[in-house]
Amino acid sequence: MAQFRLQGSKVLAVDLAGDTVKARNGSMVAYTGQMGFKKLSGGGDGLRGMVTRRLTGERMEVMEVKGQGTCYFADKATEINLVRLNGETLFVESDNLLCTEASLRTGTSFTGLNGMASGNGLFTTKVEGQGWAAVTSHGPAVILRVSQGLPLRVDPGAYIAHTGNLHRALKSGAGWSTLIGEGGGEAMQVEFTGEGLVYVQPSERTTLGGEV
Amino acid sequence: MSYPPQNPYGQQPYGQQPYGQQPPPHPPQGPPPGYSQQQYEQSHQATQAGMPLPPQAPPYQAGPAGQFGAPVFQPPGGEGPKVWDAGTLPDNDNVNPYCFSVDLNGAYYLQKGKMIAYYGEMRFSGVGRGALDQLLERNFNSPLHASDWVVAEGRGKLLLADRAYDLNSYDLEDGNLTVRSGNLLAFEPTLQLKQSIIPGFLTLIGTGKFVAASNGPVHFVEPPIRVDPQALVGWADCPAPCHHYDHGYLHGVIGGLRHLTGIGGASGEEHQFEFIGAGQVLMQSSETLMADRSVGVIGAEPGIPGSGVPHQQQHGGGSVPGLGNLGDLGRRFGL
Repeated sequence: MAQFRLQGSKVLAVDLAGDTVKARNGSMVAYTGQMGFKKLSGGGDGLRGMVTRRLTGERMEVMEVKGQGTCYFADKATEINLVRLNGETLFVESDNLLCTEASLRTGTSFTGLNGMASGNGLFTTKVEGQGWAAVTSHGPAVILRVSQGLPLRVDPGAYIAHTGNLHRALKSGAGWSTLIGEGGGEAMQVEFTGEGLVYVQPSERTTLGGEV
Repeated sequence: MSYPPQNPYGQQPYGQQPYGQQPPPHPPQGPPPGYSQQQYEQSHQATQAGMPLPPQAPPYQAGPAGQFGAPVFQPPGGEGPKVWDAGTLPDNDNVNPYCFSVDLNGAYYLQKGKMIAYYGEMRFSGVGRGALDQLLERNFNSPLHASDWVVAEGRGKLLLADRAYDLNSYDLEDGNLTVRSGNLLAFEPTLQLKQSIIPGFLTLIGTGKFVAASNGPVHFVEPPIRVDPQALVGWADCPAPCHHYDHGYLHGVIGGLRHLTGIGGASGEEHQFEFIGAGQVLMQSSETLMADRSVGVIGAEPGIPGSGVPHQQQHGGGSVPGLGNLGDLGRRFGL
């Protein structure tokens, strides 16, 4: 059973005792003990997953880490958020997924046209099962709860991940004034309704929606 | 805005405190009027310690776990991160050092693209829309920057952030504060926004709260001081912000050539901003600038700095700027 812990807020330490984790390719910064690193083709989802990822463009370069000792992972000094899954599903942008326990299944999920319009791609990565996942964010993530009657709207560039039973819809504030350059600057928003948690980062990656 | 009486303008003649020597210790005398206690304490501690505050981990607390079938966010052997919702998000305060929560009830100005999420019903409309003319006439006096700003109207909680830079809110009480235009995120409509005479800076006047970003924690220092241009975030009330050039380029032709060509080397610290007079200077603890948006130039009128019209008549006429005449070396040496 791999033990996930944070070494500071930007380095993930995983204690391994002969078991495996899947991590973003090249994210290892140090290790103690004996470790083996094996590149997994196509995101480590097996042959079908590989084809799916190739088709959907939700690329994920993943390696399998196996061994005895402690392995340290980091990605461009971004903050790391640990998420414990107990049978739920975590939807996360593939760029933000750093490391998962081998017991977790990863796959792709169709987000529909709203994903494309918000510049995050048509697909997002799905993590499910029992175990730990490490999600990166530029700046410490703010976790926001969505409940009935309290929908949340998120800038697509700040969205990282969500869990729970959430419905995702694109909310557009773009009108004729956007076209003539007097838009509100926040023309694209993703609306979450239902019940669950949404992770946002205090920073915006460049998306199509962010520039409108 | 009034000032601590122990440091009135003029009682500390310029030059009395040589630069580079031990600065006078700042007694912790409470916040200067116009700044919130929290803000002041935070920055003052940092300044006194002589080094920037370490990046503080957000105040993580154990959140209610396991609701809605959501995962339990409990790292092993530690407290889980705080889960916020519309009720628990702070009112007009920082969620963590990099994220600010506005309790919106009415209107708020914010720079485009700084909203990361919101609860409630809000509308974002570009500055320049007809329905907002009344509000704009009172508060928004900066036509150059109008296309960068939006007005958020409605009710709810609005989260602001900018590239994971440190955010701070500042309370002005009948005061004024000038800040680099890229660093200003949002302000209450009780404040008036104006362009500073110094290009690239905006001045806020009045009473109210605004939110500004800095790369690393912000420090308050009192003039007289010279600061690196890239570390300057803004200033409050200082009557004389000016350029200062250190090196001896006025000492003869060789110095002038060295300044123009860079031959002979430069430390990169020859040019500073100098502040004298009563007030506060805001510095960030890095030299990474916020990317300024190009806002164009202000209308070409004589007497306005940065408007492209020379503020003085050219001597003799026909003098070409740049290396053609060695950067006005002739004029500099009275030739």
